[in-house]
Amino acid sequence: MNSRLLARLAISLGRNQASQELRWMNHAISRGHTNLSLEDMVARRALGEPLQYILGTYHMTLLLSFLTLATGSQPFGPLNLLTRPPVLIPRPETEHWVLNLAESLSPAAQNPISLLDLGTGSGCIPLLLCHLWPPGSVHACGVDISPHAMRLATDNAALCGIPQNASAISPQNTFKATFANFLADHFPVGGLRTALPFDVITSNPPYIPWEEYINLPRSVSDYEDPKALFGGPTGLEFYHAIARFLCRKGVLSPNALVALEVGREQAEKVEQVVLSTGLFRHTEIWLDPWGKQRTVIARM
Amino acid sequence: MSSPEDVLRLKQLKESKALQTAWDEWTQTRQLLDNTAPLLDDPDPTMRSLAVDEYTSLTSTLTQFLESTFPSLLVPPSTTSHLSALMEMKSGVGGSESSLFLGDLLRMYQRLANVNRWKAQVVAQNDNDGGGTKDAIIEIKGDGAYDALRFESGVHRVQRVPATESSGRVHTSTVSIVVLPLVEETDTQAEELFSMSDIKLEVMRARGAGGQHVNKTESAVRLTHIPTGITVSMQDERSQHQNRRRAFQVLRSRLLDKKLTREMEERRDTRRNLVRGADRSEKIRTYNFVQERVTDHRIGLTLMNLSSVLEGDGIQDFIDAVKKDHADSILEDMLDVD
Repeated sequence: MNSRLLARLAISLGRNQASQELRWMNHAISRGHTNLSLEDMVARRALGEPLQYILGTYHMTLLLSFLTLATGSQPFGPLNLLTRPPVLIPRPETEHWVLNLAESLSPAAQNPISLLDLGTGSGCIPLLLCHLWPPGSVHACGVDISPHAMRLATDNAALCGIPQNASAISPQNTFKATFANFLADHFPVGGLRTALPFDVITSNPPYIPWEEYINLPRSVSDYEDPKALFGGPTGLEFYHAIARFLCRKGVLSPNALVALEVGREQAEKVEQVVLSTGLFRHTEIWLDPWGKQRTVIARM
Repeated sequence: MSSPEDVLRLKQLKESKALQTAWDEWTQTRQLLDNTAPLLDDPDPTMRSLAVDEYTSLTSTLTQFLESTFPSLLVPPSTTSHLSALMEMKSGVGGSESSLFLGDLLRMYQRLANVNRWKAQVVAQNDNDGGGTKDAIIEIKGDGAYDALRFESGVHRVQRVPATESSGRVHTSTVSIVVLPLVEETDTQAEELFSMSDIKLEVMRARGAGGQHVNKTESAVRLTHIPTGITVSMQDERSQHQNRRRAFQVLRSRLLDKKLTREMEERRDTRRNLVRGADRSEKIRTYNFVQERVTDHRIGLTLMNLSSVLEGDGIQDFIDAVKKDHADSILEDMLDVD
């Protein structure tokens, strides 16, 4: 049976990738992460559905309330996060720069920092930072306009043991997902205002331009949220909006750092957009593991 | 709370315990012998005869101490006794039959780990499309795992009629095994075996634009340690981060193995050491199904216990025998010196 399923997967994935994915599917089944049969998994994958939405999760049995929803998983650094359509699946490029960012800053509980993640999706960026930095050293907010993303980010925070509010007893990092449109003129609103000013702002905003969007692999365009992918005609729309937001009074603290993930050949343009605010003294561009320019870092 | 010095001292105490026990028993026996000596001249013949029996038995116990117990304590305690093991298995000659046998050996070592209360985990495995396993890496965690398994390094040969063979002809296939010392990431006492500037880290596949454009899982990594040319590829986990961790673990094991081998060779140069097993292309053991026998070629031991080895815990007999042979050879070597 396996060789037939392998052949079926190999048509769309190639032989190597197919046998690798088949093994991960078998693992997920043998560890009870899913109720799906191998047959079902292969059928869905062969139609183009991302593996990360199919595999189920370690925590399946713990999360009874999620059982009714299609749930998958994706490792992200030492974390294993939930994935759920149509929320953007965390990418290894993002994992890489967030791990680097965690190394390059060292906040301490004596002087906790305030962090904002724009378009938080699964919550992967702030949650990994909350996990890696010492307890009580960071209070993070994530905003998103997708209710699916909001719910997933909140579930992931619960899974990682990151509370919404600090307890009085022991120092803890906190994460709160808020429904908001960061393109709007009145952003930030409500509870977010109390978190001002921010010491760190991170974002993996939608950055795919139109002509690339129409050529995306189906496993991306048919399954993941266009609102998390499509960055306007030029792909740079959100960076301009973020720059306008950064310029507003009281948003950034005096030594703030901004980290923005970028797409193909966008790094230098985004660097210019960021520099044109006149807020930052120093910028750098980080490469991803594949040698592509992936992250623009700006320091005040 | 115990300080690092306490831990060190406790370790020293534990290591010298065997010495203390032997010495206590020796002095006790000597004492008894001294007490018995006057009774040899006792006027009562019954008492005299009892004393003679006693004297003979005590003397033989003391001889035993001199001939075997004390010499065995001379064998220096293993410096690697706390290490866990990383076992790399590769199928050799014999095609798919060799892969099937690799699967058998893998299960054998997993059972052995269970019996010894070690934790065994397969960290990498490449299966054959036609069944069996092309190669595998298994991590075996627990005290003494490396010392027990290190002599399993070498070529393992199987002689049997393959399940796939219709004519009933006996085939000979091989699996080669390398057992490496495992360095735990949390082992703070472990010295750094390499510097990051000597490492080239590559991701295995082209990913196009990457980022949001692609959601295919491409997590394979390859490490190259430039000074030694050692390369490690790891692709089993879905996470690149995990694969990187695993690859570094294997690299550390290979480097520590190199270091231990080098140290052993240096010792061999200063004393005419007979330590064996350095040559990993050497055929060490044959599993013959037709005769239901297993032969270890290094020590010339043959046991008719093939089923017990492959389906039970018979392998333990071989592991103990080879370990004892190793200890004997060290001892012989020490006595040989001038």
